[in-house]
Amino acid sequence: MQSSRRKVLKAVTGAGAMLAAQPYLSLPAFAQAGPLRIGIITPKSGIAGTIGECGLRGCQFAVERINAGGGIAGRKVELIVEEETNPKDSIERLRKLVLQDKVDCVQGVISSGVSLAMGPAAEEMKALTIFWDGTTQDGVNETMPHPHYVFRSTDNECEAVMASLLVVKHWKGQFKTVAGINPDYSYGRNNFAAFQALLKKFGVQHEVVADQWPKVGTTDLTSHVAALKAAKPDLVFSSLLFADLPIFMRTAHGAGLMDGRTKFAFPAAGFQHTALKKSFTPEGMIFGHNTLYFDLPNASPLQKQFVQEYEAKYKDYPHWEADRAYFAMQVYKAGVEAAYKAKNAWPSQDDIIGAMEGVKIESLGGPGQMRKDHIAEQTFYQGITTHKNRYDFPTLGQIDTMYSDQLQKPPGADFWKWIETAQIKL
Amino acid sequence: MSAFFDILLGGVFHAAVLFLVAAGLQLIFGVQKIVNLACGSFYALGAYFGVSAVAFAVSVGAPAYLFLPILLVAGLALGVIGPPIEALLRTVYRRDEAFQLLLTFALVLMFQDILRFFFGANPQQLGDMVMLYGTLSAGTVLVPTYNALVIVASIAIAFGLGAFLKRTRFGRILRATAENREMSQAVGVNVGRVYATVFTLGTVLGTVGGALVVPTAAASLDMPVELVVEAFAVVVIGGLGSMRGALIGALIVGMMRALAIRYYAELEMLAIYVVVIAVLIARPAGLFGRPVE
Repeated sequence: MQSSRRKVLKAVTGAGAMLAAQPYLSLPAFAQAGPLRIGIITPKSGIAGTIGECGLRGCQFAVERINAGGGIAGRKVELIVEEETNPKDSIERLRKLVLQDKVDCVQGVISSGVSLAMGPAAEEMKALTIFWDGTTQDGVNETMPHPHYVFRSTDNECEAVMASLLVVKHWKGQFKTVAGINPDYSYGRNNFAAFQALLKKFGVQHEVVADQWPKVGTTDLTSHVAALKAAKPDLVFSSLLFADLPIFMRTAHGAGLMDGRTKFAFPAAGFQHTALKKSFTPEGMIFGHNTLYFDLPNASPLQKQFVQEYEAKYKDYPHWEADRAYFAMQVYKAGVEAAYKAKNAWPSQDDIIGAMEGVKIESLGGPGQMRKDHIAEQTFYQGITTHKNRYDFPTLGQIDTMYSDQLQKPPGADFWKWIETAQIKL
Repeated sequence: MSAFFDILLGGVFHAAVLFLVAAGLQLIFGVQKIVNLACGSFYALGAYFGVSAVAFAVSVGAPAYLFLPILLVAGLALGVIGPPIEALLRTVYRRDEAFQLLLTFALVLMFQDILRFFFGANPQQLGDMVMLYGTLSAGTVLVPTYNALVIVASIAIAFGLGAFLKRTRFGRILRATAENREMSQAVGVNVGRVYATVFTLGTVLGTVGGALVVPTAAASLDMPVELVVEAFAVVVIGGLGSMRGALIGALIVGMMRALAIRYYAELEMLAIYVVVIAVLIARPAGLFGRPVE
């Protein structure tokens, strides 16, 4: 009796699975044999740990939705998560994912330092790889101008370009002296240089009275704030983005730097938005939320659902890394399914790569696409902070939205020349 | 003038925290002759435990403004880890210095995983709690009251430690043991007990330092390395084993850092190590250290 009940259950389950997989029933037997294995490399510890964690949550949200909808071209998705640490060890983990776990695609990576080293390694291993963040740029120069297997996120400088444009748009004529406090690596250096280049482009006369370069991980910024205060800038531009940003904000507030006489632009504040409490983060600052602003009034149903689930599950509000991870997974899904449809059989890796080029998808934060040169285009959000909300941290009162084709160099262009010549609408 | 005081206060605040960690390092080396690389780990442990203690106390109804005494108690309570770690170090007291360094370095790595296991990988902060104490102002110079309290606490600890070492009976025993372990043992000093006490005291200096700094900073897994690099500069400048050296060394390092950040931000570390090299050339034993005969 028990045996026959088991047979019935098997039959019912089998029928259910067949129904779910109906659109893909013509798949070769091998392709349907197992799930798609996606290797994820992301930091779960250290100064970028919270960022990696948020990305992973966005990725898991994408996978849950994909699997609930029948998988990618009929195959469920399975994640194998590895830790992103230094470039050398992260490449070892990439090797493990590709050679040992035999993953179909690798996604993740936050640090530019890691992606810079991992890009060529992934090309050498012929491993389809989609970076969430970081870039494969040395500064602003492409180290792999024509990648075949590697796809990357938007230029890191997009947020600095947008914040600079907002500074010009909102505050032109209201400041003469500027200061910078930016992380001491190529990201911070390029951002501050881009800011100054854009001020020059739009004819904003200014004098740089201080530039501070705290090392990533510095937790005592008292002396940095004292130096900024001594320089008496009208405007401070800061692309601090890790745990040092709330520390800076608190220290600057305590030292009287935020008494209303100085304007502030934080292009990457979104990474730390919930840690920037109202009590020490004034209104009227320019904040960048990159490709996901969690409190967008006219957000898509997809974003609203994600933010609600995220809040309920983690008692927190997501930032843009969740969007980057979601975007990467959806680009892969769209590529596989387009290639499958074109071939009417399970596609090869090259078929998938070809289909991913130019693919358009709807990400958590809005529309996006993967350019033919393997660089993402996405929607960016920044604006002026307000305290008029239900949270204990500032949100955006006035929101500006820009598509990244206005914020990053076109294929093959030089970043600095592009800034000089680009027709950018304010 | 206001800028000068801002920079001065920034330097002194950094020095105050640095002193506590360096003093622990000095005390342990002065008596036990062990260069304890794990002093930075104690500092990080104090910071993480401090955040958790305050969060717990507030969750059970303690008023938030009591966070300073709670942090102090949390830092002091961590002294319990001193005796077992000292017992572990006994295995290398009579061995080559390389073994001691390797063992304390192993402790650094182990503590990093312990912190990750218990407190998670993400930096932890106390939000805006530091602002509960308000700000002291004199003209345009503003100092968060909490920062001023940390400076005062650090000075009090420095003088208290000095008085303890010079004026108490145990302090004299401790100094005698530092001078000559065998002779002290011969006259009946329980050297094992002295070592355990000294190591615990050194540990507590680090954990209290970490607990006190966390409201203005963040508890992170990178903390130990960040501070140890500067603590060793303090030790070289002040002289290995000298408490007065720790105080002056910390002030020199704090001020050099603050001035470098103000005038040549990129040269922050270079400025500190230029002083280290100058001291090593002019006074190899450090400003207050005794030359090896």
